[in-house]
Amino acid sequence: MNANGTKVRVTIDGRTVEVAPGTLVTDAARAAEVHVPIFCSHAKLPPLGACRICVVEVGMPKLGPDRKPVLAADGAPEIAWMPKVQTGCTTPVLDGMHVRTATPVAVKARQGVMEFLLVNHPLDCPVCDEGGECQLQDLAFAFGADFTRMDEAKRTFESEDLGPVVKKEANRCIICMRCVRYCDEIMGDDALTAHQRGVWTEISSFDRQPLDCEQCGNCVEVCPVGALTALPYRFKARPWDLRQHVTICPYCSNGCSVRLGVRGNEVLRARGTEHRGVNQEYLCVRGRFGYEFVNSAERLTAPLLRMGGAQSPASFDEAVTYAAARLREIVAVHGAGSVAFLGGEKLNVEEQYLFQKLARAVIGTPHVDARTRSTARVPGDAILRATGGGRPAMSLDDLVDAQEVLVLGDDLQGEAPFAQAQLIRGQHQRGLHLTVANQRRVKLARTKFGGDWLAYRPGSEPALVAALARAALELGDAAGAAPAAPWRAAIEGWTVEKGAAATGIPADAIRAAAKRLHAASRKAILFGRAVAEHPQAASLLEAIEALGWASGAITESRAALMSFGPQSDSQGALDMGLTPDCLPGYVPAADAAARGRYEQAWGRTLDLGAGLSAPEILAAAAAGGIKALWIVADDWLASAPDRAMAAKALASAELVVVNELFLTPTARAAHVVFPASAFAEKEGVVVNCERRLQRTVRALAWRKGVKPDWEILQAVAQALGAAWSYRGAEDVFREIAKLVPGYQGRSWATLLPLGPQWSFAANAVLPERRAAAAVAELARAGEGLALLSGATLFLQGGLSHRGTLLPKLAKAPRAFLHPAEAARIGVGDGDRVSLAAPGGAIELDAALDPSVPEGSVFVPQAQAGVELNRLGAAGAPPRVTARRVGARETVGA
Amino acid sequence: MSRRFAAGGSGFGAAQRPPGPLLFRDIDTPGLTGIDVYRAGDGYTVPSQVLGRMTPDEAIEVVKASGLRGRGGAGFPTGLKWGFVPKQTPKPKYLVCNADESEPGTFKDRELMEKNPHLLIEGMLLAAYAIQAHTGYIYLRGEFEYVQRILDRAIAEARAAKLLGDDVLGTGFAFHLHTHLGAGAYICGEETALLSSLEGYRGQPRLKPPFPAVEGLYACPTVVNNVETLMNVPHILKKGAPWFRQWGTEKSPGTKVLSVSGPVKRPGNYEVPMGIPLRTLIDAHCGGMRDGVAIKAVIPGGSSVPLLPASMLDTGLDFESMVAAGTLLGSGGVIVIDDQTCIVDALWNITRFYEHESCGKCTPCREGTYWMSEVFERLESGHGREKDIDLLWDVSDNIMGKSFCALGDAAAMPVMGAIQHFREEFEYHVRHGRCMVNRRNPARLEQRREPPREVAAAMETNT
Repeated sequence: MNANGTKVRVTIDGRTVEVAPGTLVTDAARAAEVHVPIFCSHAKLPPLGACRICVVEVGMPKLGPDRKPVLAADGAPEIAWMPKVQTGCTTPVLDGMHVRTATPVAVKARQGVMEFLLVNHPLDCPVCDEGGECQLQDLAFAFGADFTRMDEAKRTFESEDLGPVVKKEANRCIICMRCVRYCDEIMGDDALTAHQRGVWTEISSFDRQPLDCEQCGNCVEVCPVGALTALPYRFKARPWDLRQHVTICPYCSNGCSVRLGVRGNEVLRARGTEHRGVNQEYLCVRGRFGYEFVNSAERLTAPLLRMGGAQSPASFDEAVTYAAARLREIVAVHGAGSVAFLGGEKLNVEEQYLFQKLARAVIGTPHVDARTRSTARVPGDAILRATGGGRPAMSLDDLVDAQEVLVLGDDLQGEAPFAQAQLIRGQHQRGLHLTVANQRRVKLARTKFGGDWLAYRPGSEPALVAALARAALELGDAAGAAPAAPWRAAIEGWTVEKGAAATGIPADAIRAAAKRLHAASRKAILFGRAVAEHPQAASLLEAIEALGWASGAITESRAALMSFGPQSDSQGALDMGLTPDCLPGYVPAADAAARGRYEQAWGRTLDLGAGLSAPEILAAAAAGGIKALWIVADDWLASAPDRAMAAKALASAELVVVNELFLTPTARAAHVVFPASAFAEKEGVVVNCERRLQRTVRALAWRKGVKPDWEILQAVAQALGAAWSYRGAEDVFREIAKLVPGYQGRSWATLLPLGPQWSFAANAVLPERRAAAAVAELARAGEGLALLSGATLFLQGGLSHRGTLLPKLAKAPRAFLHPAEAARIGVGDGDRVSLAAPGGAIELDAALDPSVPEGSVFVPQAQAGVELNRLGAAGAPPRVTARRVGARETVGA
Repeated sequence: MSRRFAAGGSGFGAAQRPPGPLLFRDIDTPGLTGIDVYRAGDGYTVPSQVLGRMTPDEAIEVVKASGLRGRGGAGFPTGLKWGFVPKQTPKPKYLVCNADESEPGTFKDRELMEKNPHLLIEGMLLAAYAIQAHTGYIYLRGEFEYVQRILDRAIAEARAAKLLGDDVLGTGFAFHLHTHLGAGAYICGEETALLSSLEGYRGQPRLKPPFPAVEGLYACPTVVNNVETLMNVPHILKKGAPWFRQWGTEKSPGTKVLSVSGPVKRPGNYEVPMGIPLRTLIDAHCGGMRDGVAIKAVIPGGSSVPLLPASMLDTGLDFESMVAAGTLLGSGGVIVIDDQTCIVDALWNITRFYEHESCGKCTPCREGTYWMSEVFERLESGHGREKDIDLLWDVSDNIMGKSFCALGDAAAMPVMGAIQHFREEFEYHVRHGRCMVNRRNPARLEQRREPPREVAAAMETNT
């Protein structure tokens, strides 16, 4: 629709529809429910007009000398048809346009193209992965002839492996260029190209080497034929043998819809969902190939109980009875405050709700925290405040249309791959400008994306944000930013120059970035774990809120900030009150009046005292103050900031209960282990980074011995005497929809396929709050190298290790050093290095990478066998000394 | 090697050729490639009359009034094209000379550039002034390396004479000119493919609209003109539109350089007023057919256009008359076919060219040219079937008007024209397994179509 909302009328095969000006004929035809076939056209790519299958006849009303339509004998306007057929995918509709798809001319043209497409296409449909869901096959059936006039030899190519993910069968290719364009314009990888020309055109990598890219497999997804196939799925199944279920990907906070193909009780593939979900066809490498853990033979299949020394299998009832009995004893002896509940960011909101309800209403402990990675106490509502206090949130689709986007601290390639794809698409197709604040030159900071890279000193995020906010304030108040606004306290005492000195970024660059953000009418500020897990996260988040107001990213009516949590339902964990200071819906636990709604509903007082946050629980448990720990869906030994301390805590606790899919090191240390269902085995609601509620569906039958977490939690609650009687996740959600602010009135039935983004009513947003303290200046760097870490693409969390493909793509664990830094400390590419901090040391291979700044070392998170938290609390920012301990291993040795 | 080519583009001595009225008037003057000789013959006198003396719009109006039409093939009015360039735009504008002369049977631009490079530079300077472009490119076909050397030398001379650079002739107008060699693809003569190639991308045509005048090179307003078109500009701006219109017809004014090839007595480039009959060109200029052969057909505008049988030789060589006769003036590559040449052979040759040069972007052209080529090969090898003739027609028809750019039409039109006029030769091929007429050795049928060398090598290694 244009600015004044006018629409144009177009008549397609006699059906008149009104569409926005500029709509393409193919899209208008869809609105008119007339089938116009397409191959090369793709919703996210600009029109190409190459395959020609969408040819139609196009005409406009004939105008007389008086500029009025000429009427035929029957009173209808006469149509002047264009002499040639036109491609519908490149022709924008005009008011009054007529389109014919079924005339002899149009039909012959389309059949001609169909025949041409089959001239060199092999007849290997019986062994083609695409067979049964092939657009060429379907359209040949719909529009093609039942015989061929092509008796000559076909042109043939050899098939080619393009790395571990993509296998190419060039003979099947119809040169629609979707793969090449998608890789270029949306992935930003340019890994594919067309070789040769004419009928010898062949898609391949530039040098015919394995694809150097994110291995996302989206080229396979958008291929309308079987020319690009995914090696992990190759020859595994026929599509009609698969049951297809659309659910939500379990990996990151983007919440992409994923279509699982299931045969028997095994997931054989994951695909995107054309025209559905936030992502549509897009999936990252984890989403597309990371489903393997679901099928893993290492999955737990029976509860484990530690009686005496070793863990041994037990029945579900035995485990429930034991856990309940021990909890009751510990509460009786040490009080409810000796029990702590940790983890839960991977659960769905129903399970998260029950987890904290079990803690607060059944056990009576305030110690609940899902944010096990945190190094400092952060208010439970800090992220919500920083992203606008519950004002209507921006969507991932808004990113494409933004003019200016500030990415703060995180590498979206690992943290939020789909958000990154949206930004690249916006940059490529719509002129979006990126400002990437990152210590490393991450993908989005590459010069090819035309953005500005603010390389700040390790750990100086708070100074950068304070300086940006100050620079934005210099430009005059954005709408709603009153001089007395309480958020100014967070940046009290900061100036742009002070921020420039602290971050090492020139003041001009800071001012320019703030100016771009301030001036843009469509903008976004994105951040993730680098902020949320920063040692100064609490004041940093308040400074971000200040930047939001100062730059106009937050206004009274909406907020254009987005936070990417570490797990698929981190947002849900915050919403459901898996934080010590907030009850579900960000109701302050300490506020007697506000918590009344829960006291009434749950039938007990919630005056539980101050809750401990995750790092405080860690310290208290290690010191022996916490006697019982219940950890769900979280390998605490890997996620806690100090591994040695977590190990001590687990060893000294009297009871450790763990809900897990696998026997993780944490589960190994537990007294009770409940095998839990994987994402594909249960239904429930998850909340993504847009605060969008999306329902997952059950794609697999429940495994023997495995139960969804809500059932485990309910069984223990019942054994503890609670009158819980939820028949399923839907019952729990009904309770949530009755009680929880922001979720009130939501109906389970409306959350498929794409639920709404929740926000508070205008008068119910979190009130602005005077900052606890202004952002503090960072201590000056100490000895050694700054230790940088962050998510990377191929591995995220423990689940990704359980498959075969992702660990293979991630290669051996490595520490990345700038070549100059490596030379300084005498380390060569591939050498073994030791990284030491006061708390401990780890060893791994060195890799040289100029994108890592000098004076630092980058160790990706979640590498198999690399336990960064063995370094203990290595300072803020963490520092390590690097030392070469061995030569590069010779290949084959 | 290049020296031999550089010596005479048309392949025969200048003395035998009558001077042309306009572009060929002085073209055989010795040393004309040097700026001094060019200046001695009134060269570079126009910029000082135009730059700063005429407004750009006035210059465009003169060219519009002259009726000059594009000489690259499509015949689009040049002044109109210039007028499409937006006047108020923050973007830079570009002038691009299309010197990717690749149309089989066409070799006029080569001779024009080889012998009179300064006229092109002068024309580009004036055109650039008219559209207010400050950068120009001459996109040469890959094989024109020696032409590039001639042009580069001329550009250097012009720059030294302050005819190019930041301040042309002290008028404050800046114009920089560069040459660029293509990489050997016919499709890059298509203006949008040319622009893609010039930008460093794969040479494939782009969607229109937006037309280059609005979004061309680097998505900036761009005019793409043919060599011959630009060379007419100095003459028009110097002497005026009415003077220019003394030649040619009302709708096709001016002269046209025609490249005549085939068994005529004097093949070569001729500049003639538009509209003279084809027969006059062949008989009067080219000295008629060689002894012992008679004319059978003429392809009047390069290999892309339908042929005309000998019965239609009175057709005038101008845009309108050619269209009326069912063909096109095209690029002016007049290919004469004698009665000893098999039409099926000739068309097979042409079809193989288009199969080889199809860029592969759109389905009908990519697959259709391959298929036609295969069918021709069977006809040629004596295994043709009656239905193959209709099949060829229908495949051509399915390409015609359905391809992305004009290359598909260029491949289809000649085949359809040949079947229309010489169906009996196709039928003879089917029935007798050989040509109805053929003065050449049938052994050439041994030439089989091979995949590109690189692909063949790759296939070799794979097996």
